[in-house]
Amino acid sequence: MKSLRIVADLVQTGPPEELDPQIASNRRRQATAALVVALIVLLIVAGLTTPSFLTFENLLVVIRNASVTGIVALGMSYVTISGNLFALSAEELSILSACIFGWLMRANFGLSLSLVVTLLLSGGGGAVQGGIIALGADPIITTLAFGGFFRGLASVVSQNQNILLGSDAAEWLGTGRPLGVPTQSWAFIILTLVAWFVLQRTRFGRLLLLSGANRVAGTASGLRIGQAALLGLTLLGFCCGITGIFAAAQFGQAVANLFQGLNFDVIAAILVGGIALRGGQGSPIQAALGAVFISVLQNFMLLHDFTSGWRTTVVGILVVVATCGFHLLQRRRA
Amino acid sequence: MSRRDTLIDLAVRAAFMVIIYLVFAFQLPNYHTPNGIAALLDGAVLVGIVSVGVGVTMIAGEFDLSVGSLAAVTGVIAMEIINIGVLPALLVGVLFAAAVGAIQGLVIGALGINSLVFTIGTLIGFRGLAMVIAHENTVTMPIEQLPDVDVLTQRFLGVFSPISIGMIVVFGVVGLFLRYTRWGREIYAIGGGRSEARAAGVPVLRPMMIAFTCSGALAGLGGALLSIRLGSATPLGFDSLLLSAATTCLMGGIALEGGIGNVIGIAIGLFTLRFLVTGMGALGAPYYVQNLAIGALLILVVLIQLMATRRRRRQARAQLSVRIA
Amino acid sequence: MPSRDIVLRMSGISKRYGSLSALLDVDFALARGEVMALLGENGAGKSTLVKILAGLERADAGAVEIEGQPIRLRSPSHSLQAGVAYVTQELSIVGPLSVAENICLGGRDQQVVWTRARLADEVKPFLTLVGLESIDPSVPAGSLSVAQQQLVEIARLLSRNAQILILDEPTAALSDVEIEKVKAVVRKLASEGRSIIYVTHRLGEVFEIADRVTIFRNGRSFEPVEVKSLDIDELIQHLLGRRLEQMFPGRSETLGPIVLSLREVMAPGLSRPVSLELREGEILGLAGQLGSGANGVVRAIAGVVPSDSGSIELRGRPFRPGSIRDAIKEGIAYCSDDRKRDGIFGVRNLFENFTSTALWRISIGGLLSRPREIKIATELADFFEVDAARLGRHAAKLSGGNQQKVALGKWLGIEPSILLVEEPTRGVDVGARAEIYRHLRKLANQGLAIVFVSSDNQEVLGLADTVATFFRGRLVRVASADSLEAEELLRDVTHPGAEDVRFIQ
Repeated sequence: MKSLRIVADLVQTGPPEELDPQIASNRRRQATAALVVALIVLLIVAGLTTPSFLTFENLLVVIRNASVTGIVALGMSYVTISGNLFALSAEELSILSACIFGWLMRANFGLSLSLVVTLLLSGGGGAVQGGIIALGADPIITTLAFGGFFRGLASVVSQNQNILLGSDAAEWLGTGRPLGVPTQSWAFIILTLVAWFVLQRTRFGRLLLLSGANRVAGTASGLRIGQAALLGLTLLGFCCGITGIFAAAQFGQAVANLFQGLNFDVIAAILVGGIALRGGQGSPIQAALGAVFISVLQNFMLLHDFTSGWRTTVVGILVVVATCGFHLLQRRRA
Repeated sequence: MSRRDTLIDLAVRAAFMVIIYLVFAFQLPNYHTPNGIAALLDGAVLVGIVSVGVGVTMIAGEFDLSVGSLAAVTGVIAMEIINIGVLPALLVGVLFAAAVGAIQGLVIGALGINSLVFTIGTLIGFRGLAMVIAHENTVTMPIEQLPDVDVLTQRFLGVFSPISIGMIVVFGVVGLFLRYTRWGREIYAIGGGRSEARAAGVPVLRPMMIAFTCSGALAGLGGALLSIRLGSATPLGFDSLLLSAATTCLMGGIALEGGIGNVIGIAIGLFTLRFLVTGMGALGAPYYVQNLAIGALLILVVLIQLMATRRRRRQARAQLSVRIA
Repeated sequence: MPSRDIVLRMSGISKRYGSLSALLDVDFALARGEVMALLGENGAGKSTLVKILAGLERADAGAVEIEGQPIRLRSPSHSLQAGVAYVTQELSIVGPLSVAENICLGGRDQQVVWTRARLADEVKPFLTLVGLESIDPSVPAGSLSVAQQQLVEIARLLSRNAQILILDEPTAALSDVEIEKVKAVVRKLASEGRSIIYVTHRLGEVFEIADRVTIFRNGRSFEPVEVKSLDIDELIQHLLGRRLEQMFPGRSETLGPIVLSLREVMAPGLSRPVSLELREGEILGLAGQLGSGANGVVRAIAGVVPSDSGSIELRGRPFRPGSIRDAIKEGIAYCSDDRKRDGIFGVRNLFENFTSTALWRISIGGLLSRPREIKIATELADFFEVDAARLGRHAAKLSGGNQQKVALGKWLGIEPSILLVEEPTRGVDVGARAEIYRHLRKLANQGLAIVFVSSDNQEVLGLADTVATFFRGRLVRVASADSLEAEELLRDVTHPGAEDVRFIQ
């Protein structure tokens, strides 16, 4: 045990030091700039080393994938910034939304009604989680539970089979490219701007930031802290719904393992984007950039014949390094 | 909690478990037969063993999200090297998983990083590692070796098999460790009040590493054992293990804040869960409904605990050392 | 001066918290078998020195030698190994664990197996020493009263078998009988050749058990003095007598009508009902040490805790706040004693902090108005003498004084009629303290009624118009600050005269 003590002394020899947020914030801005640079470098490297990277079809795939991860990451960023860590149910809610949408379309409810109902239900799924968390439940356990619940529900709705939409009404939604840009990406861009605006410029956004910065101080100041959790998770629910709808529309069917690994990619996007896990700081733009980076990275690895296992391992290493890295950067050394 | 309060709490949980049992027992005559009990025990082994590990980290005030992925990767490794023999492969797997757990505990304790945050990364990484080692395939045992596995399915006293005995041993050993050793009590200390324990002179790194080594080793044991028994390991398996283990622990009275809980409670939670799951299965519900049921059960537990916490907090406000939120 | 057998020597110790110097080049020596008392105001540095010795904090500079060996005390377990054991004001009891486990954990017991019976036997003698022999060592420590928990901590201290023992305000929550036990134990330990550092506010205790006294002021320590040669009046002067006039602005100009009245109010922490009145423009100071119950009063008004009985009237109407929001709606602002925990949003800048209580003021239909935000924040910064250049910085990066100004100032956004503050200048340097006192007086002159709780007696006498003294959960007396002598105040909050004439022998 003595050797343990030596190791411990080398690394952390006192109570965890206080965060120095000014330094942390400066470093975060630097980290975001570094991320943009890294992204550009990655794009250049990918373009030079991978002949099939800069093709039209491939870039389309990259942009669409970035949008899928990105839209959910935007919603997740609200959850993280409000101090609720992560929602471990994003992937499952997206799948459920896709299944619900597919089921409604197949049952001939028509496009508009299917859209509305799906979005209402997905938002509702987020709201229920948010409400329970607002009452004081642990965010990780709650969303873990709902994740399992949603997954099971999705299997029930789909009878564990693929749901064929049965009509072409949604095809434009899934595969259309107004002005050459896929619909999903339009949604991604618009949602990014909206999310940024709401966080920076609205009263609700301010509530979100304060809630994440110091929940207890928020309550002491008379703020309705519960609203932050409730609405943040509702928005995440909507984002999952949107993503689910797009995917179902794009493929013409809802498949059970549609979003395999989405939880991983979204979490990686948030962390790589530099949003602090303790909450109270950050911007959806960071999440969006992170999603783009992850998507490009995934694509790059795919084109270089990385197996799915290696791609996942790389993402895992990235997340571990990013969390430890930010944690160490934020600790002020005495 | 005082001893009396603990016993009352366990009794209430046990009563709930019995109710669940009775709900299904009336419809399933098979529950009472030795075969039925044996199946029940064997079916509980995976979640039971892993839940003990998750429970220990929860008592320490932390949470290990990576248990499912670690079980998967250990199962895959055990299958890949199965030609050295069933028991040696099992041993290697468990040692590997224990080492991984020890490293996680070391990093989390030494860096002071939130274990939830850290293990999200390792959750992803181990899953990828499992896929890599298994070459994206299901790893199966060579047919020649299948008979070796039979040793795991023998019956003792009509109801026990080596693996269910193994589970009982795990519960016993960890339970005794937590209750009657200094190192076990240190784990309760760092969970029950991290800064207070530290101020009292309790070393934080040792119990942290022990807790995560435990959860790692047991996740590995569960994964390897199940894979060997099935004769195959799939890298994408054990994906709902975390949910089941968390539900088991919370139903068993392990507090998320740390410092509270014991293996008897975990056992009660385990069988409550198993009664529900096997009961539903026997009634004809398709397997994919399991997640639905477990998720719903955990939500229910969360809500009940939430109401209890709010009531406790309202009462605690009537004390000197009360805080704002 | 006979040469002493020095068992502990600390040289050149310095410690800063941000811009606040807690200790400035302090030397300290402890002889074998002696009881050394540390005296000084809050923030004078005595607790910081002791925490460094206990391994809870690390000095920025300086050296520590124990038994002639230089040593680096990096953590509490380090200090324990070096033979230092301590009991501090902040309880370090792990609630869910049993009393016996709380005493034994972290100690030197190397045995692997721990059974209830064995632990109970081991701790019995120590529990008896502190008067807790009737307690079952297997009950969870969290179920004991605060006083009992404090005694358990002292029992733990005794079980450590240490050469150097530190007791930092160990008797704050204890009754007289319990205090006698503690004093007896300390004397016994000293006679065994152990060395004890005893930090206290209670001069009576100093005279009864200490051999020497070291006085701390503003982060510096003075040469230790033999207790035998001390003059009590001189000591009080030394501790309390200072340039009151320079530090504190004057009294109130005019007092308005009664704005708040408490009649026989009971709240958590109080043992007897309290009746008080507060007028517009008045600053009421509630004086009391740890466990006095004064902050229960304030928290009941603020809606943080329920008031169990009695009535509160706000401007003549009954007032029973069920929550903080209820109180805020009525224009009551409350600042706790821990601004880091619930007073400021550390990772947000000052614009956001200053406007956090009144978001409606800076928003038009849900959208934030940057010009309004800037205007309000700038006005508040101006009023509280916070450099406007700092407005863009994160609140946690500010000095303690500026942070406190932010914690207080943000409440002006709700246009409060009553401001409740606990420990208004904790962790604030002298310069900023004077500024905060000025601001509070200015606010009072503008009609705000202020109630503050403070364990700093000087602050109470200097800032308040009216003083209410508290001791062990009851209101001792209410008097105007001008008519109250420093010694009377000190006596009220540590050893109220009426029942307990054991102040000085």
